[in-house]
Amino acid sequence: MKEIKIALVGQPNVGKSHLINSISGATLHVGNFSGVTVEKKEVEFERGGYKLKLIDLPGTYSFHSYTPEEKVTKDFLLNGEYDLILNVVDSNQLEKNLIFSWQIADLGKPMAIAFNMYDEYSRQGGEIDTDKFFKLTIIKSQNVSAKEKFGLEELFEKVIETYEEKNTPRIYYSETIEEEIENLKSLIKDCKFDKRFIAIRLLEEDEDIYKIIHEKPWYVDLLSQIKSSKHRISIEYDNDDVKEVFFEERLALSKGIVSQIAKKARRETLSEKIDKILIHPLLGLPIFLFVMWAVFQATFSLGAIPMDYINSAFVAFGNWFGNLLPNGLIKQAVIEGIIPAVGAVVMFLPNILILFLGINLMEQTGYMARAAYVMDGVLKRFGLQGRAFIPLVSGFGCSVPAYMAARTLKNPKDRLITMLVIGFMSCGARLPIYVLLVSAFFAPSIQGDVMFAIYIGGALTGLVVAKILRIVLFKGEPEPFVMELPKYRFPKLKALLFDLWVKTKMFLQKAGTFIALASLAVWFLSSFPRTDIVKEYSVKIAQIKSEAKKAVLEEKMNREILENSYIARIGKLVEPITKPLDLGWREDVSLLAGLAAKETVVSTMAVLYGVGNTNESSKGLIETIRKTMPFTAAVAMIIIVMFYSPCIAAMSTFYAEIKQWQWRLFYTVYPNVFAYVAALLAVGLIKFLS
Amino acid sequence: MENGKLNRLNELNIGESGIIRKIYAKEPLKSKLLSMGFARGERVKVLKHTLAKNTFDVDINGVNVALRGEEASEIEVEKSEK
Repeated sequence: MKEIKIALVGQPNVGKSHLINSISGATLHVGNFSGVTVEKKEVEFERGGYKLKLIDLPGTYSFHSYTPEEKVTKDFLLNGEYDLILNVVDSNQLEKNLIFSWQIADLGKPMAIAFNMYDEYSRQGGEIDTDKFFKLTIIKSQNVSAKEKFGLEELFEKVIETYEEKNTPRIYYSETIEEEIENLKSLIKDCKFDKRFIAIRLLEEDEDIYKIIHEKPWYVDLLSQIKSSKHRISIEYDNDDVKEVFFEERLALSKGIVSQIAKKARRETLSEKIDKILIHPLLGLPIFLFVMWAVFQATFSLGAIPMDYINSAFVAFGNWFGNLLPNGLIKQAVIEGIIPAVGAVVMFLPNILILFLGINLMEQTGYMARAAYVMDGVLKRFGLQGRAFIPLVSGFGCSVPAYMAARTLKNPKDRLITMLVIGFMSCGARLPIYVLLVSAFFAPSIQGDVMFAIYIGGALTGLVVAKILRIVLFKGEPEPFVMELPKYRFPKLKALLFDLWVKTKMFLQKAGTFIALASLAVWFLSSFPRTDIVKEYSVKIAQIKSEAKKAVLEEKMNREILENSYIARIGKLVEPITKPLDLGWREDVSLLAGLAAKETVVSTMAVLYGVGNTNESSKGLIETIRKTMPFTAAVAMIIIVMFYSPCIAAMSTFYAEIKQWQWRLFYTVYPNVFAYVAALLAVGLIKFLS
Repeated sequence: MENGKLNRLNELNIGESGIIRKIYAKEPLKSKLLSMGFARGERVKVLKHTLAKNTFDVDINGVNVALRGEEASEIEVEKSEK
């Protein structure tokens, strides 16, 4: 069967993904565009004897690429393999959307248009005459509603017709511009692109096109003509910026055509009415904070409920699986190393899903853009963007979903800065460590204040560091903040669920494989070498009858293994480095174990201090460390936990999201240096004051 | 037609509107603004701004766009009565 490859293009918020989800009998593949974390969706289905393959390109406002998403789209349209362009347009914003349509029509490829959201538009009295549109532009189009599933089949008929007839658009600009396009065209020789397209893009100073053609032998002859053409256009339009001239041309074209093909809809005022309350100058912020509070409550209290089930499911699975394996090293590695660690990560899945459900709801209803609007003024002072609020606050729960939530930031610099400071928002797993140290070393009357100071101090430091990063590492103009506030819309259940499913799959794949390996390594480092110890104790254990005493002895054996393990040796190795902080090797090892998972810091301390497997509220450990650890060490440890690298799960998520090695390296090193210096300063200050 | 006063967009108050006369922004902001529909001759209306006028919500050709005061100051408008 013959395949038609279709590039699906449109501005953001035109309902492209809606459209994809509404095609019946389609199979969907989700992946990434190579080299970037931009989601790539492909849909395949059969119509009219053809296999239609839709490639969903990221929403783009214009052909002058700006965000990574827009670069992906432009790159695909220029260099990708496709037979036809299907441009999705929001019927309610014809004029703005068509500006982009004319830009891609210039490519000279077969193209069809879907006037989407036609249901909304026609309800408000709007009408579009697609026959007339064809006469004016030679583009076949169809009024559709992805939401109410009408017009889709007719749309695909027109797509197939466009393909069979090799029907390319004919869009003409004003006379002067057309003359200059002709002048340039005559000098453009062999090239894989349409000559008219090249001429237009050269006039618009498109650097990507310059890069492609500047090695052609005929390029030199072109230069003077480009210059004189631009000069003539500048004079004719009284504007030095030819790019702007083209924008205005296209806008005028849009207006002209829209006035001929469309009956205007009545103004929709519902969104304005909702906005009167939701982004009210005074009420906007409190409302937003309440919404966030609700989302996080749901994330971390509702999400905590299945945690125990997941945990016991993993324990049960471990036991069951353990029985299948022969006794020995592999069994231990799997049962003690891999399964509990993977389980500890999968436990976060409910949190992640609920948080993402909240974020998706905010995105789909259109509230997210409003949230960014409300928060931007505050975050701007720290060199961050309004949208950064959500990942930052998620960081207080868990860094893993926070890093993923940073995807809502479209600008790579904004995203990177935000992700670099997320770790400073103390995650939930660090709470037990703070509780332990604070209750051991501070008077009960000020413990609450100290806890509060830890959280606020971490967050403020994060914001200040963001500002510093912005100034030092990302010099130059701050990124502009210009963002469409889309109409409020009801979310679609199918789209919500599908997105959650995709996120789940990616999370399990990425974190799962990496975590399994990393936890295996940590398990190995903390369990070996041990042959001699095991030999010694197994003899003793075998002699004892009482189960209780056996357990005590086993615990002692485990402690001894840990004390002699490679990780303990590493701890002793770094002891000189942490000496100025008054930290001993037990604290060092605990902190190192914290790199695997923050939950293990307290349990490792407990094991190393010989108070057994205990939890943070246990009096024994508190008493012991109060006696043995100096106050300065406790402060140093709190500060290090506040700032040093998050756990392996979080770090691997960061690595998965950020591809550049230099940033991965920076991310791995700088929080630890920062933590060390901060702790050193604090310890020095305490000693100086006393 | 009477010539109105020239203002920067961030100088307008809630409910006021004007016709865009010039965009001073440099690339890439300029392209971004243009693709959102901020072109010369278009009417733009300030729907809302945050308390400190940090961020603006404006209507341009039926499209709601949020932008910062800094970005709004790059757009020159001719204030129109009502």
